[in-house]
Amino acid sequence: MAEIILKVQNLVKTYGDRNVVDGISFEVQKGEVFGILGPNGAGKTTTLEMIETLRPIDGGTATIAGINVAEKPYEIRSIIGVQPQSPGFQDKTKLTELITLFAAAYGEKVDPKKFLDDVNLGDKADSYVENLSGGQKQRFSIVAALVHSPKVFFLDEPTTGLDPQARRNLWKLIEEVRDRGISVILTTHYMDEAEVLCDRIAIMDNGKIIALDTPKKLIKDLLARGFSKDQHVEQANLEDVFIDMTGKGLHA
Amino acid sequence: MNRKFFTVWVFFIVNLRRLFRDRLALFFTFLFPLIFLFVFGSLNSGSKSVSLSVAIINESHSKFAAQFVKQSESSSQKLLKVDKDVKTFKDANEKMGRGELDATIELPPSFGEVNNASIYPSGQAIVHYTQNNEQAAQTLVSVLQAQFQSINTKLVKSDTPFTVISKQNNERSLSAFDYTFTGLLGFSILGAGIFGPMNVFPELKKMGILRRLHTTPLRVWQYFLANMFGNAVTGLMSIAVMFVVAMTVFHLKVVGNYFELALFLAFGIIVILGIGLALGGWAKNERQAAPLGNIIVFPMMFLSGTFFPRFLMPHWLQGITTFMPLTPIIDGARLIATEGKSLLDLGPQLGVMAVWLVIVYAIAFRVFRWE
Repeated sequence: MAEIILKVQNLVKTYGDRNVVDGISFEVQKGEVFGILGPNGAGKTTTLEMIETLRPIDGGTATIAGINVAEKPYEIRSIIGVQPQSPGFQDKTKLTELITLFAAAYGEKVDPKKFLDDVNLGDKADSYVENLSGGQKQRFSIVAALVHSPKVFFLDEPTTGLDPQARRNLWKLIEEVRDRGISVILTTHYMDEAEVLCDRIAIMDNGKIIALDTPKKLIKDLLARGFSKDQHVEQANLEDVFIDMTGKGLHA
Repeated sequence: MNRKFFTVWVFFIVNLRRLFRDRLALFFTFLFPLIFLFVFGSLNSGSKSVSLSVAIINESHSKFAAQFVKQSESSSQKLLKVDKDVKTFKDANEKMGRGELDATIELPPSFGEVNNASIYPSGQAIVHYTQNNEQAAQTLVSVLQAQFQSINTKLVKSDTPFTVISKQNNERSLSAFDYTFTGLLGFSILGAGIFGPMNVFPELKKMGILRRLHTTPLRVWQYFLANMFGNAVTGLMSIAVMFVVAMTVFHLKVVGNYFELALFLAFGIIVILGIGLALGGWAKNERQAAPLGNIIVFPMMFLSGTFFPRFLMPHWLQGITTFMPLTPIIDGARLIATEGKSLLDLGPQLGVMAVWLVIVYAIAFRVFRWE
């Protein structure tokens, strides 16, 4: 049995008289990529923000590495990394300075160059964030969230708005993070992303988790219920064509 | 170094570097106060003595009248500024009506003529003035009387039992510019301490930058402290530039101790910054910050002695404004810089500032929002 790093029990968030997160429970293991899927307004982001200590928890508990999120927010913040939906960084500040700044926020002193090299941004060390491309910005944002070697890494819709190459590059990056033993929890709208990346997924709707398992098992269950697609499924799709023709490598 | 203060230090350094890459911020930090300094400095630093703008309408053809006009127009005459373009009463009245002239001196046709009965010239000059210029006219009359008096004694030998002379005291007194300058220091502290965070923080919130920092263990006090250091350092640099300009261009004489002055001003900057941190930290966006900011800033701007010295205000208003946060800073800066007082003499000012420090930072910590 793998080590449980994150444990969520009956988590509730109430706005007015509506439970936008309605008593959800799940566990995430060490070194696992856990996906939270669901339509807009299902409560994915709110769930993440409660676990990240950004929003007060109205009911239930969340613990990371045995530490209660509601009781010790500062301890939690020093062992988690967070990649918000649209990461913002101050302008006119070099990448190296931003890395130094984030490390300092955790009370740590690091070699910024090493971190930038990790995500192929070494040659951009003296650039400002506003001069990076979308994919570079996402990679930078991820490395900035990992300067303190967190135990759990949260990503909120990390690939929204990226081109296919940048998405695949980011998936690779997330897998590398997982291989370092960091648990990754992400939300996404893309089913292909969840299928490729996530070891297990939770599907949320109206504040509740309506399914939780490995992607394979969920598909198998669906087929077992007698589901079949109307159309014959091609062995390749348009995205495969696009990637094949434009190459997998990073363009920028 | 303590890890918590290491964090503060890094934030301070990185943000200081950032400021020096931001042209707009540099303009508002360094050039903007200088523009005000030049404008108000040149308004107030002209000769300290009174000077009256007058026109002389000479209707006499006498030699004496011509000489009198010539002497009045000469540059050695500092008290009167004669407008040579005005030749007729029509022009003179028009200019007096607009306030460009304080008064008009009329030399009637008989002025300076030698009467049949006497051997010396005589005559009566007439000073014309408008309702609003009574004081100027009276001054002018006494000036002319004194001039005529000295002429009279040359023409007619007579005893003058009572006379008066003026003698300059050796002690320095405050000039209008001393008040203007420390007022402008206050204005620049106000701008950097309040308008700065009031504009920057909502922007940082809009871009999600503060939200991102909120996911780290960074504490609000660390963030505030980094801002306080940053503001104190850039504020002092900006003020230093103002001092250099004031001393070289406007002949400001600083008699106090520079170290004490810097210490005092740094404290003042931090007090005022607290107001900015409270406003910017509270506001979710610029639209929320601006109205409240203006309500707080404008009274301070006009009542704390930034643009007009407080001693010009009615007594009851002086009493109230003593306790505004900016007032002790402006007064204290003047007391140290131009009157040579030391920090130990500034108990009342430091006391008011300390009370405000506690109040504004208590509010700032309470209302701060990361997003």
